[in-house]
Amino acid sequence: MLEYVFILPLLSFAAAGLILAFGRWLPLKGASAGIAVAAWGFSQALLLFVKAIRGGITLPYEVSIPWFSFGGSQATLGVYVDGLTIAMLLVVTAVSLLVQIYSTGYMHGDPRFKRFYAYLSLFTASMLGVTLTSSMMVFFMCWELVGVCSYLLIGFWFEKQSAAYAGKKAFITTKLGDLGFLIGLLCLFYATGTFEISKILELAHAGAIPAAVAGTAAILLFLVAAGKSAQFPLFIWLPDAMEGPSPVSALIHAATMVAAGVYMVARLYAVYALSPAAMNVVAWTGALTAFMAASLALTCFDLKRVLAFSTVSQLGYMMMALGAGAFTAGMFHLTTHAYFKALLFLAAGSVIHAVHTNDMREMGGLRHKMPVTYITFLLGTLALTGIPPFAGFFSKDEVLAAALARNPYLFAVGAMAAAMTAFYMARALVMTFHGKPKDAQKYDHAHESPAVMTGPLILLAAVSVVSGWVLTRHEMFEKLVNFEGALPFELHHVSHGAVAVFSSIVAALSMTVGAWLYKARPEIPALLREKFSPVVEMLEKRYWLDAFFLKLVDIGDRLSAFMFSFDFNFLDQVVIDGWAWLTLKLSRLQGWLDDHVVDAAVDVTGAATLSAGRVARLAQTGLIQNYLLFVAIAVSIFAAIAFAG
Amino acid sequence: MTLSHYLALSGVLFAIGLFGVLTRRNVIGILMSIELMLNAANINFVAFNRFLYPGRYEGHLTVIFIITLAAAEVVVGLALVMAIYKNLKSVYVEDYNILKG
Repeated sequence: MLEYVFILPLLSFAAAGLILAFGRWLPLKGASAGIAVAAWGFSQALLLFVKAIRGGITLPYEVSIPWFSFGGSQATLGVYVDGLTIAMLLVVTAVSLLVQIYSTGYMHGDPRFKRFYAYLSLFTASMLGVTLTSSMMVFFMCWELVGVCSYLLIGFWFEKQSAAYAGKKAFITTKLGDLGFLIGLLCLFYATGTFEISKILELAHAGAIPAAVAGTAAILLFLVAAGKSAQFPLFIWLPDAMEGPSPVSALIHAATMVAAGVYMVARLYAVYALSPAAMNVVAWTGALTAFMAASLALTCFDLKRVLAFSTVSQLGYMMMALGAGAFTAGMFHLTTHAYFKALLFLAAGSVIHAVHTNDMREMGGLRHKMPVTYITFLLGTLALTGIPPFAGFFSKDEVLAAALARNPYLFAVGAMAAAMTAFYMARALVMTFHGKPKDAQKYDHAHESPAVMTGPLILLAAVSVVSGWVLTRHEMFEKLVNFEGALPFELHHVSHGAVAVFSSIVAALSMTVGAWLYKARPEIPALLREKFSPVVEMLEKRYWLDAFFLKLVDIGDRLSAFMFSFDFNFLDQVVIDGWAWLTLKLSRLQGWLDDHVVDAAVDVTGAATLSAGRVARLAQTGLIQNYLLFVAIAVSIFAAIAFAG
Repeated sequence: MTLSHYLALSGVLFAIGLFGVLTRRNVIGILMSIELMLNAANINFVAFNRFLYPGRYEGHLTVIFIITLAAAEVVVGLALVMAIYKNLKSVYVEDYNILKG
């Protein structure tokens, strides 16, 4: 069964082509093909998971075929499967399947329905490629394919100016992060001489990579991860990515693609573990991101953007956990988060599908109209905020405990972010589903979504409720996903129970306060908004990060303009043209010299020869008598000499 | 009459012949002058034979040969002159320049 795991991405890829080419004649306009492939993939992933838990297969498993060789090195195509891969596989296939089922309802009647499913399948294929590949080179290729799919799906409704802009922004911002990928990869290649993940990990575990090179490569690759996983300061694209359809947000921008950065750090964790500096960069960037994004969600009125900021914040948590040395906790949070955040996005999509707006100020009271969506959203919220016994409680506590074990300040930042998370989720929940309808017309038109949409919601809600509890039974997840290498620092001993109690109380308190404020006393938040208008402005401007990057682009523009004018006015006009002018003048001088000195010398030689010939010709009269005369004279002279001697 | 008288006569004859060859414009005159020079040589042969080796005849024999040769030469020479004259209508050597480059 492991032998055939390489088929998973290929099959999804084939499905994408099939839908694009023949979707018109397939049931459900091609959606059936995508769903069938995703369902099969999910069943395989589930089987693998169960077998791995029971110890039915030996991990890690690796198989590869040679692709091409360069120098003395070989590039390969292949799969590398370990516990980490299987956990990620389960996330990708499960969310992909549910999102595709959900989309048949959400995208119903869209003119580009077929294309949507082709993109989803292509995305799933690329993501499975990222998850399964045995070579960092293929990883990079699939990584870029994932980015392309993200671009295509964010800008899926490209008739909307803002969607087209958001797609471009996402692509360019992640590309900014991807700058580090090739350099980081080449650093690794320089140190290890291979792109094989298993060999890189082996060498890293053996400590055969110099710490400085490993640290450089790790930090460069973290820049890449920060682009895809929306870490500070590159997270600015994720809120705008919400312009895409909600299922896309759930699949790509909540569960899978944005987790790819975390997955990459986890994949190369042995390399990171060699460098304390890289670990610190990861941990603190994660903590800062978690805090900033949570604070940004506080003032946002767009339901999907609140969830987007929440995603950024939770991704920060995962990075923080990885940086703090808690490998298992980070990946555990990734897994549980994928389910409950996908649930929240799909539920939000269901709401938006009903009221045709993203603005929470135009919602309210929807729990009477959409009971299933309300309940599932509530369960997702409880899971996200970390109220026991929902999934987020288990994973978030692991993360916070790990942060405390590493550094109390990390824990403090994380705890504050957790409190804010509970607050803004309570706010979103209350503003959307409770209170009085603020827009009566929209409220009247609202209705519960069809079963193809609520079905996935209920399934995801069930998973969100139990997954944390189930996966911690008999340390199931920890046995599957574990880091056996040595960490570059010591961890303090902390009591997990105390952290759990503390964080649950904080979350519950914060959530209660948030709910009470927005339900019973909506005037207080409005008053606070007025009182702290500079802070609110700062948050609404997203810490001026957008402005910062636009300024950066502007500076780039100006620099280019200056460079152009320098190039045109100085290099072209003065240097190149001046050089040409000088050459011309020199050539003229040389031409004159050639004409008047060299040629003249040649001519003079010729003329002299001619004159000499003319003189010599005088002796050659052609008259035989003359010659005879010379002979006579000569003979006379010789005779005279003979007689004289 | 001593050998010196003969040699002086021969020298004068040769000089006159040479002078004629060098100065004459008429090709027939030149031929005649050549005959003079040949005969100057003949006188030398005969004189040396008579005074230095009396009783021997090699010198006389050579002279007979030279006279024969001269006769043949005149035949060929005059024939050439005739042929050239037919073409060029001139007996003056300065006109005989058709081989001049």
